[in-house]
Amino acid sequence: MEKVIGLITCNYSAKESSPLNESRPMASLPYFGRYRLVDFALSNFVNCGIRTVGMVMPYNYRSIIDHVGSGKDWDLDRKNGGLFILPGSAFGTSRTGARFLLRDLVHNKVYFTRSTSDAVFFSTANFVYNIDLDKVYEAHKASGADITVLTKTASEKDPDVTAFDVEDGRVCGVHHGTAFGETMFLDCFVINRQLLLDMFDWYAATDYLDLFEAMAGDFGRVNIRTYDFDGYVAPIFNKRAYFRANMDLLDPRITSELFVEERFIKTKTHDTPPAKFEVGSHVCHSAVASGDRIYGNVSDSILGRNVIIEAGATVRNSIVMQGCVVKSGARVENAIVDRANVVPAGTELRGTPEDVLIKEKAH
Amino acid sequence: MSKKECIAMLLAGGQGSRLGALTSNVAKPAVSFGGKFRIIDFALSNCANSGITTVGVLTQYRPYLLHSYIGTGEAWNLDERNGGVSILPPYATQTGGAWYEGTADAVTQNLGYIETNDPEYVLILSGDQLYRMDYDDMLATHKANNADLTIAVMPVPWEEASRFGILTAEDDGRITKFSEKPKKPDSNLASMGIYIFNADLLVETLKEDANDQNSSHDFGGDIIPKLLADGKRLFTYKFEGFWRDVGTISSYHETSMDLLGPNPAFDIFSTTFPIMSNSSTRPPAFVGKDATIDDSLIANGCQVYGIVKHSILSTDAYVGERATVVDSVLLPGAVVKDGANVVRAILGENSTVEENVSVGSVDTTKDTAVIGNDVVVGKGEN
Repeated sequence: MEKVIGLITCNYSAKESSPLNESRPMASLPYFGRYRLVDFALSNFVNCGIRTVGMVMPYNYRSIIDHVGSGKDWDLDRKNGGLFILPGSAFGTSRTGARFLLRDLVHNKVYFTRSTSDAVFFSTANFVYNIDLDKVYEAHKASGADITVLTKTASEKDPDVTAFDVEDGRVCGVHHGTAFGETMFLDCFVINRQLLLDMFDWYAATDYLDLFEAMAGDFGRVNIRTYDFDGYVAPIFNKRAYFRANMDLLDPRITSELFVEERFIKTKTHDTPPAKFEVGSHVCHSAVASGDRIYGNVSDSILGRNVIIEAGATVRNSIVMQGCVVKSGARVENAIVDRANVVPAGTELRGTPEDVLIKEKAH
Repeated sequence: MSKKECIAMLLAGGQGSRLGALTSNVAKPAVSFGGKFRIIDFALSNCANSGITTVGVLTQYRPYLLHSYIGTGEAWNLDERNGGVSILPPYATQTGGAWYEGTADAVTQNLGYIETNDPEYVLILSGDQLYRMDYDDMLATHKANNADLTIAVMPVPWEEASRFGILTAEDDGRITKFSEKPKKPDSNLASMGIYIFNADLLVETLKEDANDQNSSHDFGGDIIPKLLADGKRLFTYKFEGFWRDVGTISSYHETSMDLLGPNPAFDIFSTTFPIMSNSSTRPPAFVGKDATIDDSLIANGCQVYGIVKHSILSTDAYVGERATVVDSVLLPGAVVKDGANVVRAILGENSTVEENVSVGSVDTTKDTAVIGNDVVVGKGEN
C-alpha cells in the first residue's frame, strides 16, 4: 500500500489509573509474554504494506522509544518514509476520552503535508486485533467514502470505547461509551489525506476536540462509512480488560487467529534462549516466553521473558512479567506481577479472579 | 581491539555430509541447534562479543538459507558501515571460475577481501563449531608471544588424541610439531581449527601454496606444516571450556542433550557472552491443559499438548495430544501429531510424524533416528 501512510496516537491513556499504567503509557504495556500493546497497531499497518508511520508520543515516552527504536523490527527503518516520532500535546489530555485529538494532528501538520499519499490510516494503541487493512482500504475506495471507520458490534458494555450511530452503513452520530449491541469503534480509520488537511482548517477553532467530536455536526456532509470486523477484538482500557485479553490467549483458537501466519504480529526481538522446563517442574495451560527457567508449578498463567519460577513456587491464573523471580515456596495467584519483581520465598501474592492483585513494577 | 586491526574469515562452505539428512538441503553452519539458534550463531556471536566487526563468511554448499539467515549481519550487530559481514561465495573471473578446494584455497580465492581491508591480523574460523571464546584474548596472546601464527588448542583425553590434529608445544606454548591424527600421540593438545595469522605472512604463504601442485590447500594439512618447517613462530592458545564440532548425527544428538539437565555442560543462558541469533518473532510457547514437560528446552511458537521429556523443541515445533517425545530434538516447525511416539530422534525442519506413528528406539545400541527436513513420516514408513 504505497499510497497510504499511518499514524498511531500513543498519548491517550486509560481513564482508570492502575499501577500498570502509572509508570508507562498504554502503548508500551507488556502483553502476552513478549509483546507490547502498540505492536498490534504497528503490525496491522506494516502487514498491509504501509512503510510510513507516525507515532504521536505521550510525555512519558521512554518505554515506547525503548521498544520501537528505529522501527527496524517492523521494517520501518526506511530511507524514505519509515518511522516518525511526533510530539503530542504537552498536557491536559492524558485522561480524556479523546482518541485522535485535533490539536495533536494539527501540531504535526507537516507530517501530512509533506506526504504525497492518497490516504492516512489512523489507530490508537489500545486495541488488540489482527486485521487485513488492505481489504479495509479496498472497501474504502470502492464505497467512495470520505472516511471509513473500523467497527464491530459490541458484545458487552464498555464505558471507555467510542460508539457510532449508524444508518445503512453510514455514521450519523458519535458518543463515548458503548452499550451492548451498539456499533463500537475499533479506534482505527482511514481518511483521504486532502480531506484531513481541509478539516484542519474547518475545525481550527475547536482543535481541543477529538476529530470525530469536531465532526459531530457534519455527518451529513462528511461521508463516513463503517467496515465491520468479525475477528477477535479486545479493547484494553482497564485492568480487568487487560487481564482478560491476556488470558483469552490461552485459548489456542484465539491465539491462532491473532498470530495468523500471513500477518504475523511483529515486536522487538531479543537474544534470549528457549525457555527451560527443569526437572520436576509442572506447567499446564500456560504461555511461556523465551529465557524463562521453570523449576516450580505454573498453571493458567502467562510468563514474560526471563522469568524464574523456583522449585516449590506456585503460579496460578496470573501474569508474571519480564525478569521476575518467584522464589522457592512463594505463591502467586490471580495476580499481575509487573516487571523485575522478586517474590520472596514463602510469601504470597493473591487476588481474586474478579479482582486481580497488581504488584507494581520493581524498577 | 581497534578497527580493522583484526578481521575474521569464517569458513562456512562445508556440507557436513556426515550429518546426513540434516544437511541434505542446508549447509552445516545453517543447521538449527539448541532450539532457536543455528550453528553459525556461535562463531558470529563470538566475533561480535570479541569486538571483531569485519567478518568475511565463505560459503559454498547449499548457501541460500545461510545467506538469508546472515542477511546484513544486524542480528549480531555486524551491520557496520565500515566492514561488517561480507558473504564470500565462489565467483567467476575473466580466466574462469573455481569452487573452493580446501580451507586454505577458499581463503586464497578471497585474498582480495583481506587486502582491501588491510588488517594486521587475520582470524580464521570454522562456522560449524559450538563454543564461546574471546578472540580478543587470543589476539592478546598472539601479540604477547610475538607470534606469526597462533592456533587455539584444547586438551583432549589421551585415548582420543589420535582422532585429532595434535600439536606438540614447549612450556612457553611454542609449537614444535604438528601431527594429523597420530597413532602414538606425544601430546593431547588438539587443534580447534581456529587460527590467528599475521596478515602479511598469511597472504604470502597462501600465494605460494596456490602455486604448489602437491598441496591439497588445507590449513591443517599444508599451511601449518609448511610454516613449522620454515621455522616461523607458531604458538598455542589454550582453551578450556565447552567446544564441540558436531560432525555426526550422534554427536549432534549428544551435544544437544548436553544443554539439558540441572547443570548443563553448555550454559546457553549466560548473559555476559550472549549467543545472538536472527530469531523470528513468534508468540510464547503454549503448554496445553494435559501437557507434561520435563527437563526440556521449549522455544517460542511451540505448542505442546502431549508429553515431552529430556528434549529440545525448536521454534514453532508442535507436539499433539497423547503424543510422546523423549530424548529427542525437534527442529523448527517439526510436527508430532496426536498419539505419535518419538524417542531418541532428530526431526528435521518442518518434518511431520503422523498420528500414532512411532519414530526412534529406546535401544541405545541403535543409531539415533533422523527425519530429514520437510519429510512426512506416515504409517508403515518407519
